[in-house]
Amino acid sequence: MTEQSLDYFLADKPGAELSRSLVADACQTLRRNRNEYLSTLGNEQIISKLTEVANLWSSPDYPLRQMALDADPEETGFPREVLAAGLDACFADWTQEKYFMLLSQEFGDPTRLQSFASQPNRSFSMVNGPQLIAHIAPGNLPVPVFQSIAFGLLLRSAQFVKCASGKSLLPRLFGHSLHFVEPGMAAALEIAEWDGGNEPPESALFAEADCVTVNGSDKTVESIRQRLPLAKRLACYGHRVSFGYVEKQANEVMGTQTVISHAADDIVAWNQHGCLSPHVIYVEQNGSLNPSRFADMLAEELEARNEAMPRGPISAKEAAAIATARRFYKIREANNAGAALWESKDSTDWTVVHEDEKQFQTSPLNRFIFVKPIEHIDEALHVLEPIRESVSTVGLAASEARMRDLALPLARWGVPRICPLGQMQRPPLAWRHDGRPPLGELIRWTDLETA
Amino acid sequence: MTNFTSLTEVCNAVSAFIQRCTDDPHAAGFDELALGLFAFQFARNAPYANLCRAENLTPETVANWRDIPTVQTRAFKSLDLTVLPEADRETLFRSSGTTQADRSRHFHCAKTLAVYHTSLWPWFVGHLVDESANRLLFLFPDLDQAPESSLVHMMDTAAKRLAKRECCFAADGQWQIDSQVAVDFLHDCATQNEPVTILGTAFSFVHLLDHLNADAMDFQLPSSSAAMETGGYKGRSREMPKAELHRAITAKLGVPSSRIICEYGMCELSSQAYDGKLGQANAAPRLFRFPPWARARVVSPETLADVELGQSGLLQVVDLANAGSALSLQTEDLAKRHADGFELLGRAELAESRGCSLMNLSHD
Repeated sequence: MTEQSLDYFLADKPGAELSRSLVADACQTLRRNRNEYLSTLGNEQIISKLTEVANLWSSPDYPLRQMALDADPEETGFPREVLAAGLDACFADWTQEKYFMLLSQEFGDPTRLQSFASQPNRSFSMVNGPQLIAHIAPGNLPVPVFQSIAFGLLLRSAQFVKCASGKSLLPRLFGHSLHFVEPGMAAALEIAEWDGGNEPPESALFAEADCVTVNGSDKTVESIRQRLPLAKRLACYGHRVSFGYVEKQANEVMGTQTVISHAADDIVAWNQHGCLSPHVIYVEQNGSLNPSRFADMLAEELEARNEAMPRGPISAKEAAAIATARRFYKIREANNAGAALWESKDSTDWTVVHEDEKQFQTSPLNRFIFVKPIEHIDEALHVLEPIRESVSTVGLAASEARMRDLALPLARWGVPRICPLGQMQRPPLAWRHDGRPPLGELIRWTDLETA
Repeated sequence: MTNFTSLTEVCNAVSAFIQRCTDDPHAAGFDELALGLFAFQFARNAPYANLCRAENLTPETVANWRDIPTVQTRAFKSLDLTVLPEADRETLFRSSGTTQADRSRHFHCAKTLAVYHTSLWPWFVGHLVDESANRLLFLFPDLDQAPESSLVHMMDTAAKRLAKRECCFAADGQWQIDSQVAVDFLHDCATQNEPVTILGTAFSFVHLLDHLNADAMDFQLPSSSAAMETGGYKGRSREMPKAELHRAITAKLGVPSSRIICEYGMCELSSQAYDGKLGQANAAPRLFRFPPWARARVVSPETLADVELGQSGLLQVVDLANAGSALSLQTEDLAKRHADGFELLGRAELAESRGCSLMNLSHD
């Protein structure tokens, strides 16, 4: 199989002119196909096909997986090893059990998607997904796109996935695997690419879709919000940042090397691209592992990781952002100005900056991490106040008991997701993106009140 | 290597070298002066010396100007990178920025300021002044209103040295242009058939052009009129691609494209680069050149070694006119290396997490 032989989605035909009428026609076809087939399927059928796709992708010999891993990192955004690890983590979670758990979490009774089911108040209710969802896909990570497509299928929705120009390869490969496994389901899926803001195809898409999901910058979200008719359902996921937090006894409970290794897992996963990756790891002072020693050990670990899973090449602009930040911290370090720097030699492969200044700092990413000392959680929440509404995930290293103690103030403060350090980029299938119900956000309930 | 014992000696030597280069662009002596200046700054600029010692690149170990440690321009925000004792820090150049902590500080005394003037003038004249005795419209505040802007100092110097020409400063202390003043001046130039050189930041030009658009007004200025455009937008106006801005300047003001020159400079530097001379400015790509007393390098952000011709990387500048601060700087600008200049490609901003833009809290 070659990439040229894949010809099914609009995005498979590079350079195709996407006119208003072409997109409108495509949407109507999707809707028709959905009505004729996808909407008639039961939960078991859909979930078994999804797990079949996941099993294929988990197999090292699967040709589409190989095609993804062999692709130019420029196109996928990631070198082979980083991409392979990310795909494995994603598809390992796609099991029957977890999909049914997701449905139960969202709707109580999964059959509610097919017919009315009773509610505790003795009335009945069912849920219906939108007939057609338009996904404005993020350009950085493939996993959210795979999940969006899977969730749309669970809701029996036709779906039109719009990727940024040059960023459709992984969604397309995923779409093709679905097409091979179950052409009838794939007939309700379209994937196209164009640069955001391209008026003719976008206005057609927004007019046709019942619901639009947007993963992207605040600018993208804002622009779409303004152009979308009020009646359309909109689920947007704008920019978010995440950080790690190491409780002062964590190393005694878990072992120092484990804590370090978990921190490295989160920095290496997807090379820190994506809202769930940490920019900063706060380390509590006055424990047996001091923050500066933590930074030193983390640097050593990142060097070792780079051997096993090289970060790979990045753009000159991204590398320049790292070089700029490094040079800035170098002179601060030399002047004892509250900063210390560890860096890979003759490359920007990884960087650790220990900085006394506690304020949250955005990292240039690509395995560049800030380590900052912190007194206790209250101090952290105080210094983090400016980003309170933008936090996605906090990765905690702490004993189970301490984790629960820390989670309460974090949750009250506004953090939507708290997970063990090392799991930041591995949210479970049913996680609530930005604290919102993943399926519940998209559906409409119908209550049947009986006499 | 010249062994300098006082700032006066340093400033005299740099000024003399600039003079020699003005007479002969191939004048020898850059390397020696750079190393002498490095040794002087190492001895007097404590934060810089600490960096050099940490990298084991000191006057004892450095024998080539290329090995002189670079200072990241951003470091001027938090460290006093100067050879001047506090009492001698008479003039302060600050970069633009929203908060004090977010602005670079470049200190000067009368001697180093004189070097700044000596450095800026011949290169300004060489690129922006020709036989036609143009009037000057500065879309800048005057020096009283913006005493901490190196750019305004430069404009002030130009206005004073071209005092015989009619000048107009048409912006206030907040860099807001007074469109009416600018329009009246331009109107006068057009009706009197007096060529004019308009100097401003990109955002000031946008403000002026927007004003002309709003009033459905345009000018056909005399053909030897000119424009100098510099700096970014800093969020002060909508952003326009450079080519589009230049087309609008030609369309709305009648300045021929061959007479629109871009300047590249910053408060941390004391020399400027231009991308062309009057009458020869419309070649693409637009290549910037520093004067012979300031050398630009394009280095790989991965290894910090010079890139090959045609490759892009981070721009570093060794500027001998930075007599009182640090002569070797690493900028935050991406550039492409050419045989006779460099092409600016943009800022090395924080990596945008593709599709998921991140806020930018403490970087500028």
